Amino acid sequence: MRSANDKLGWARIDWKTILLFVLLVFIGWLNIYAAVYNEATAGSFELSSKYGMQLIWIGISTIAAIVILLIDDIYYHQLAYPAYALMFIVLVMTLFIGKEVNGAKSWLVLGPVSVQPAEFMKVATALALARFASEYDFSLSKIKGLVGVGLILLLPMAVILIQNDMGSALVYCSFFLMLFREGLNPWVYYAIFLVVGLFVGSFLLSPTSLLILLILLFVVSQLLGNHNPKESAIYLASVGFLSMFIYGVSWLAGGAMDYYGALLIASLVMVVVALVYAYRRKLSNIYLFVIMFVCSLLFLGAVDYVFNEVLQIHQQKRILDLLGLESDLKGWGYNVHQSKIAIGSGGLFGKGFLDGTQTKYDFIPEQSTDFIFCTVGEEWGFVGSVVVLALFALLIVRLMKMGERQQEPFRRVYCYGVAGIFLFHTIINVGMTIGLMPVIGIPLPMFSYGGSSLLAFTILFFIAVRLDSQNSSIDTVYKPY
Amino acid sequence: MSDSRANILKWFVIGLFVVLGLRLFQIQIVDRSYRRAAENNVLRYEVQHPPRGEIYDRNGEFLAQSVASYDLMVVPRNIPKDRGFDTVALARIAGVSVEQLTRSLQAAKNYSHSRASVVVRQLTTEAKLLFDEGSFDGFYTLFRTQRSYPRKIAGNLLGYIGQVNDKIISRNPYYSRGDYIGYSGIESAYEDILRGEKGEKVSVVDVRGTVKGPYQDGIYDRAPVAGTPITTTIDAPLQQFAEELMEGKVGSIIAIEPSTGEILVMVSSPTYDPDELMGRDRGNNYVKMLDNPRQPLFNRAVMSSYPPGSTFKLVNGLIGLQEGVVTPNRRYPCEQGYHVGRGVKCHEHRSPLNLKEATANSCNAYFCYVFRDILDNPTRGGVMKGGYDNWAKYVRSFGFGEKLGSDFASERGGFVPTSEFYDDYYPRWNSLTVISMAIGQGELGCSPLQMANLAATIANRGYYYIPHVVKHIEGRDSLDSRFYERHYTMVEEKHYEPIIDGMWGTVHRDIGTAGVAYVKGLDICGKTGTAQNPHGKDHSTFLAFAPKDNPQIAISVYVENGGFGSSVAAPIASLLIEQYINGEVTRPELAQYIKDMKIAYPNYEKRK
Repeated sequence: MRSANDKLGWARIDWKTILLFVLLVFIGWLNIYAAVYNEATAGSFELSSKYGMQLIWIGISTIAAIVILLIDDIYYHQLAYPAYALMFIVLVMTLFIGKEVNGAKSWLVLGPVSVQPAEFMKVATALALARFASEYDFSLSKIKGLVGVGLILLLPMAVILIQNDMGSALVYCSFFLMLFREGLNPWVYYAIFLVVGLFVGSFLLSPTSLLILLILLFVVSQLLGNHNPKESAIYLASVGFLSMFIYGVSWLAGGAMDYYGALLIASLVMVVVALVYAYRRKLSNIYLFVIMFVCSLLFLGAVDYVFNEVLQIHQQKRILDLLGLESDLKGWGYNVHQSKIAIGSGGLFGKGFLDGTQTKYDFIPEQSTDFIFCTVGEEWGFVGSVVVLALFALLIVRLMKMGERQQEPFRRVYCYGVAGIFLFHTIINVGMTIGLMPVIGIPLPMFSYGGSSLLAFTILFFIAVRLDSQNSSIDTVYKPY
Repeated sequence: MSDSRANILKWFVIGLFVVLGLRLFQIQIVDRSYRRAAENNVLRYEVQHPPRGEIYDRNGEFLAQSVASYDLMVVPRNIPKDRGFDTVALARIAGVSVEQLTRSLQAAKNYSHSRASVVVRQLTTEAKLLFDEGSFDGFYTLFRTQRSYPRKIAGNLLGYIGQVNDKIISRNPYYSRGDYIGYSGIESAYEDILRGEKGEKVSVVDVRGTVKGPYQDGIYDRAPVAGTPITTTIDAPLQQFAEELMEGKVGSIIAIEPSTGEILVMVSSPTYDPDELMGRDRGNNYVKMLDNPRQPLFNRAVMSSYPPGSTFKLVNGLIGLQEGVVTPNRRYPCEQGYHVGRGVKCHEHRSPLNLKEATANSCNAYFCYVFRDILDNPTRGGVMKGGYDNWAKYVRSFGFGEKLGSDFASERGGFVPTSEFYDDYYPRWNSLTVISMAIGQGELGCSPLQMANLAATIANRGYYYIPHVVKHIEGRDSLDSRFYERHYTMVEEKHYEPIIDGMWGTVHRDIGTAGVAYVKGLDICGKTGTAQNPHGKDHSTFLAFAPKDNPQIAISVYVENGGFGSSVAAPIASLLIEQYINGEVTRPELAQYIKDMKIAYPNYEKRK
């Protein structure tokens, strides 16, 4: 029941989630303070320093949050497309009148402050997607729906890529989380994971073990759908025996073939057996797995060929470095190396607030921005890092829960969009600092120094909270969207 | 469907965070290497150079001193980019040209922006203080010591020090780039003692290499241990006098205290001012010395191999006595030479002479008879079947033909041919084939050190201590035991007296060849040598000790192309003996005459 004096629904605001958010902002600010702290300036408080500037941006963000909570949620629905269009124009303008920082022309100078339009474009895109996906005849299994979603995502991505800011462009991939929830075909995800897995696997594993893994993967996958453990076991055993047999024969004939070749031939022969089996039992999904298996083999060959024949040496190195197989400590591997040292040296409980040697003596470049998590890792140790990660996980799960409890698709889609953006930023950023992810320069939400990013995350988050607080599911008031 | 998808997503999110947590567990808890890497990142281990041990003469006077010197260092990154620094002022303080400073600064930048490089070496203390007054961010001074030589003497004897090269670094882990090491002379022979022990200072630095303070209040710092001073056996005033006497001449002087084997004087001429191989002009001076045809860097005293000339007759006389092929009173005729075979010429003198007279008079013929009798001695099987080898064995017992084992690493052993050497040359040979060695010519080669050692051996009547140049190392009770061992020759003590009488006669009797060496009351015993050589005029050499009883000094003077032994070498030896025993010289005009004497060396100049 909405009371008359609570027209805006403040009573139902999810204060617990807001508390989580505020807590993360506070811890983030402490770490920015530690990152720029050094003994020389200890004791004095400089508003012009990074932690001072960040404090100002926290103030601005607070005002923005209050304003957002004061606006009736209907406007967010109505303004979704105009906001998207407006931000897109600003984004394109940035290409022409923007300022270049670190090689990316992605900053707009507005008087005393510089802002990154790409950060705010995320908000507009999340709203526009929510609006689009909440239309009554929307479906992700229809071409129209897919094209619409694709366009909304690809337009800003393309412009940001032209700005040469790959990190910010990749963030738009985070909407795949929301799209999965909204029913995008799981085969798409299966294919994505398979491609990424094969690519990484082709560098980390020997061809033979990769092939064995592939065979196992597809056999077990079809087993989950077809419930045929006996046949599956026989099939695997046959592949094994056949490969051994071929290997043995070739060995007797002079040993021209290694085991990989034998296994490859065996598996291809057994593909025919699988097709016959599928036809007899009318198990159509096996056709799909066979196609995927053959495509995987072709993909692996293509990766090999492109890597060895097409790519330049420096590009090869970059890929090897990314996968942790080779390290150019002088070049761009330096940041990650120093970052791992800082975090790794933190130990269980860390070196203590303001006592991190790597932090204090500036060993990590860009520590207050992209590598802010080093400060957490070094000064607060494993315990502190896990607490911070747990807070992030909790926030994201709560955002998804928030989406689940919405009655209207618009609110749900938006909440999931926000959760996806937070998740992508957090996983990629933290993963990068500990050498699990490639170096992609995107900020850690609420932690990394930078006004645009903090303000954009605040707007993203508080719109979600605002929408949630006016969830119509409880009072079932008809809202003419 | 949607509910299960929401569930999948929830676990997907949680799964991702768990992966991050596991990775954190791995690098923060399991893998300890990051902790070590962090320490290496922030700790800077800075070498602290100890002052090199000082070198004293036998009376405690400085031969080589260590004085404070500072290297001007730079970390290019720390030079403020906006302000830069006053190049002109810094160049003036450091005493180099602006171009030089700019050049070495560029070299430093090319080497590393964040690591320290030397910009200017060896600043004086005054320059350092001036530098400290100015403010040159990015620059600092590093304490080193530098050699200084108050008397500017004994260049080859002391040796020089220089920066270690890559070969030394790879062989000896103690040294690292920029360290100094002794390259020759005492500096090299006693490097381990003189160098001291490097210290280490551990400081905390930031990524720019700016020092933030000592690590853990300095508990890991190690103070450098100063090098140990060495007292040498050199008599500095005598050494200086000897160097002055050798001016303008090429050759060598070595004086030894016979009762100990201590080297009192070691001159290799031409010598050089050791200060020239220190300091900033070292490179230029070094090249100049290398280019000098008279080779000042070549320590003739221990490295050259000269024909000993007539001084070697002493050895043949002693062997003859021991072998019983000659007695003190045996007389041999001399018809201006020994006319068997190719023959050996001799100068005009009365004949026949006995052993003492022949020694004093340096009769060639007499020693040819003796030498042939030693070699052809039938009891030794004749020259080819042991006679020669027997003689060579005697000669070696005097310290010829092999290194003596002094404390000069560069010492060489001269040459005493073996019978195989001649077998290779001649299908048949006899004592006449090698007759030149009767008078110290022919294939024989020996270093001035070995000749001085012969003088000391005769002074001691039959034994010598290995000549050495170090008397005392601070904190040690004794030197290497080899310097306390008596090395006996194969000739018994009693046989020395006739020879010594002959040497006394050289200086004191009218028949003697070196009356010029006479000093009243000093009983100098000597032997002249006039060594023929393929390089021009004869070498002038003189071998002496004094006084006859209880000798205090044994000396060998060798002046290349100086002519007769009595013309240059004998007066020099005499003056030095007088100076050493009496503490003064009564013949200043002789000293001046010798000092002013310049010998021409067309042979060396040609070689260039």
